[in-house]
Amino acid sequence: MITVNNVYKSFGKHEVLRGVSCEIQKGEIVAIIGPSGSGKSTLLRCMNLLEEPTHGEIWFEQTLLTPVDAYLHPELLRLTNTYAKLTAQGASDEEALNDITQNRLLKKREGKAFQQAVKEMHSAHFQNVNLTRQNIGMVFQHFNLFNNLTVLQNLTLAPVQLKLKTKEEATEKAMELLRRIGLEEKANVYPSTLSGGQKQRIAIIRALAMEPDVMLFDEPTSALDPEMVGEVLSLMTDLAKEGMTMVVVTHEMGFAKEVASRVLFIDEGKIQEENPPKEFFANPQNERLKEFLSKVL
Amino acid sequence: MNIPWSHLWEKFKLQVFEQGGYHTILDGLKNTLIIAIGGFIIGIILGAVLAILQLLPNNKVTKVLRGFAKGYVGVFRGTPIVVQLLLGWYVLKPILGIRSASALLWGMVIFGMNSGAYVSEIIRGGILSVDKGQMEAGRSLGLSYMKTMFKIVLPQAFKNSLPSLGNELIAIVKETSVAGFISVVDLQVAFKQQDTAYNPIICYLMLALVYIVLVLLFTALIKLIERRMRASDNR
Repeated sequence: MITVNNVYKSFGKHEVLRGVSCEIQKGEIVAIIGPSGSGKSTLLRCMNLLEEPTHGEIWFEQTLLTPVDAYLHPELLRLTNTYAKLTAQGASDEEALNDITQNRLLKKREGKAFQQAVKEMHSAHFQNVNLTRQNIGMVFQHFNLFNNLTVLQNLTLAPVQLKLKTKEEATEKAMELLRRIGLEEKANVYPSTLSGGQKQRIAIIRALAMEPDVMLFDEPTSALDPEMVGEVLSLMTDLAKEGMTMVVVTHEMGFAKEVASRVLFIDEGKIQEENPPKEFFANPQNERLKEFLSKVL
Repeated sequence: MNIPWSHLWEKFKLQVFEQGGYHTILDGLKNTLIIAIGGFIIGIILGAVLAILQLLPNNKVTKVLRGFAKGYVGVFRGTPIVVQLLLGWYVLKPILGIRSASALLWGMVIFGMNSGAYVSEIIRGGILSVDKGQMEAGRSLGLSYMKTMFKIVLPQAFKNSLPSLGNELIAIVKETSVAGFISVVDLQVAFKQQDTAYNPIICYLMLALVYIVLVLLFTALIKLIERRMRASDNR
């Protein structure tokens, strides 16, 4: 569903991700753990391009989300176009390749068409990211409910604005989701009146209101009072049971152990270990992971 | 100095109320309000646009737009409003070949352009004060940058910058007193015209009083709007 291919990300000189590759399959619940500053949140934010990787590719199903590398790909694209044209004119493979490498004039003539093609690819990219994000729900550490809107408006804004639903349909769906988490009576209040746990559960159903294919959770319980962690985790567990594909950056080892189908350990910008939870926790291979687990368990 | 207050007051009353001076004053009040409010509205729209231009995400096109916005703010904050009025009226207007525009309209536009520079900084600060997570949440739902900006970030930015915007409105009300430089009959000019019998003291004291009342009214109005917009903060 989501493919991360050799992703690097630096903030200025600080290199956070150093070549991460992983694949999220449909129906999987992947927990990402690791020490703070290891790049696990950055990896998650790269998956819906809230952070743009410095290098590497992010794919959502058949869509490439990262921009085409303008310095590398145009050349390839041009060559492919020329090749296709020449072979269509009846040249053999060998002749076509010869032509491509030797005929400078052709290169010049095709310059414009080629730039146009690159431009189109770039504008397609911007479209793709916004469209794709509709299918990738995200839940943040600090909830990020829209403060200027009521709970109901928070839930209906995106589906209505993106013309996925009419206002009535969106409201109906929102009320259904609110009923599900037992917060119907909060529909018309502003987020500032809610507790942390309530905010986070509403943030989760705000993402659900878009009916996404996959949900990303960025430390969803880290900013909560201990007594509110449970209600958020139980909602997430319910989602997992319903077959939602989830990627969860978390410090809740219990959740990773019981709910996840796979656990990734990230340290120093790389995936150090990757296993189903049973093996992951019972029999860690990596030295750093052993050390990390001995501290948190 | 011994000032014959009652005598001066009688003269002023005669001039204003019995010889029809109040027509001019009401006209002046109207013009002042038109310039101030119209200019402020232009300023807010222009300021919001300039602020957004300055905060657009990086790329080649936005670099140029950002440069333009910064230059605009620099020029309009760097020159006095009187100079802007004079340049606009005596230089820009003939160059553009606009004949029909009245001094009042022209003044309103120039005050709006001037105010836009200040308002853009206020709103820019307001936008920056909105948590980055709000934009990220909007984008993560698939909304575009502009949609999130207009639906989520700007309303909060406006709310946060209301006190400063109120300040700007009050400043612009008072600044309009130099509109006389381009032959607009505003409050200041209107009161000056009542000074027919060497009676400046009462005239200008009354002028000050009118400005104070105006400013107090605007202050109350701003407070009201602020309280309305704080609705989402009530706990």
